[in-house]
Amino acid sequence: MPRSGSYHSWPTECLQPLPFDAKRGQLIAVDRVSFDVPQGEFVCIVGPSGCGKSTVLNTIAGLEVPFEGSVLVDGSPVHRPRPEVGMVFQQPHLFPWKSVRRNIAHGPRMLGKSVQEANAIADDLIAMVGLKRFADAFPNTLSGGMQQRVAIARALANQPRVLLMDEPFGALDAQTRAVMQDNLLELRDRIKATIVFVTHDIDEAIVLADRVLIMSAGPGRILRQLDVDLPRPRSNAILLEPSYLALKKDCLEVIRAEGLRAFRQSDEP
Amino acid sequence: MKHDGALRAHEDGGERARARSDAGRLQRLNILIGVLSIPLFVLLWELIARSGIVNIVLFPPPSVVAVAIVEWMRSGQFFLDLTASLYRVTTGFTAGAALGIFLGIMTGQFPIVSSLLSPLFHILRPIPPIAFVPIVVLWFGLSETGKLFLVVWGVFFTVWLSTHIGVQKVDRGLIRAALMLGTPRRQMLQEIVLLGALPYIVVGLRTAVSIAFYTLVAAELAGTFAGIVYRIEIAQQNLQTGQVMGGLAALGLISFVADRMFAALAV
Repeated sequence: MPRSGSYHSWPTECLQPLPFDAKRGQLIAVDRVSFDVPQGEFVCIVGPSGCGKSTVLNTIAGLEVPFEGSVLVDGSPVHRPRPEVGMVFQQPHLFPWKSVRRNIAHGPRMLGKSVQEANAIADDLIAMVGLKRFADAFPNTLSGGMQQRVAIARALANQPRVLLMDEPFGALDAQTRAVMQDNLLELRDRIKATIVFVTHDIDEAIVLADRVLIMSAGPGRILRQLDVDLPRPRSNAILLEPSYLALKKDCLEVIRAEGLRAFRQSDEP
Repeated sequence: MKHDGALRAHEDGGERARARSDAGRLQRLNILIGVLSIPLFVLLWELIARSGIVNIVLFPPPSVVAVAIVEWMRSGQFFLDLTASLYRVTTGFTAGAALGIFLGIMTGQFPIVSSLLSPLFHILRPIPPIAFVPIVVLWFGLSETGKLFLVVWGVFFTVWLSTHIGVQKVDRGLIRAALMLGTPRRQMLQEIVLLGALPYIVVGLRTAVSIAFYTLVAAELAGTFAGIVYRIEIAQQNLQTGQVMGGLAALGLISFVADRMFAALAV
């Protein structure tokens, strides 16, 4: 693939969040969550709605400041959003007044690249996510899956060392979601960025990740880490393999036990 | 059975065609009536004015109004009045809108600016601009500055409020996405916030167009030397009712054109 090499030419350093609590008003959303992500790893965080997955991700992004603790990317603390960390949200949040190309070129333009340079970067990424025919289209004319592909391309345009994804396929229908997952796996082999991916879909987590972190709710904690040693390249086809099913069983047991615990707790006066 | 079904389908088809042609006929009739609306109204007006039921001096027929308009144009006064009025509306509108958009973005985006200015604006906003005429005359006399002040005053608050609301309603997701892409603060205001709030701002601007004309009326009635509303007032004092109505028609027409132009720009 042309130029794909230029998206991952960084030295071996690592993303290393330290223990942190993120406090929202009076509610502790996340309590003592701590994990390291080596450079290039694909980590999925799964957990029920409201367990603070998004808070963890927003904190790594620098969009939220932790009450205690810190996030380190390449050894330096994150206090505000920075271009080395890209993010894809659940909604595409594309700029409706910009074409696909100009949406993707926005980041490079903001970092001081010329229009030509930014457009060249955008065109490469447009080809990579398979939207060449729609380069000049406006977001409202695209389907949900296409919009999310543009959002991914836009997040990659600044060549982030870390890509954060907050349930990026959560709003898509099942078929589109499977296709998007396969696309992401392919894309990931090319860009080799460190990816932290949040989802509540266990299948999605196991298909995509090198490692799955299972979180509990109220306040959010990491219950368990599972290494996913399924062979790569992967696709949705592994959903029926015994090794996959064994992993999923592990996951479900942890989640079930936690769910029961939470239920009993909420039942007590 | 099969035959039956086919027959029914055929009948259905006929019925549908008939319904379609009925709808078409109705639509043509509607257009025809629409075209006749204004001529019919003018004719009725002419008949009533000339029937003797009403005083023809106070209620002149459209033919008399037309003559008055033609004379107004031929004297060259119309052009002077038109430019005077248009100048007041356009400069007042532009200045008021620019100020409103600027301060709307500031109060919408920065809570400190909002805490400082919003209470003041909310106190001043409900005062009808026309109520400022007496003090404007004291301050500025019959100068153009006074006229502009009134139009700016009227336009500003509408545009300010709609911009302020628009900025607060900008999709937070867009802002977060822009933040993650390294958008600097200045660019964020000029591009993401401004364009994100644009739908609201456009509505505010369009409302402000008609407000600009209201305040123009007040401004010119307060005393001036040229202008369409001024001409209406002079004609009224001379009992030139035809000229009064001609002035009203001209005012309605330019206000209508301004609104249409804005609607076309907005889409």
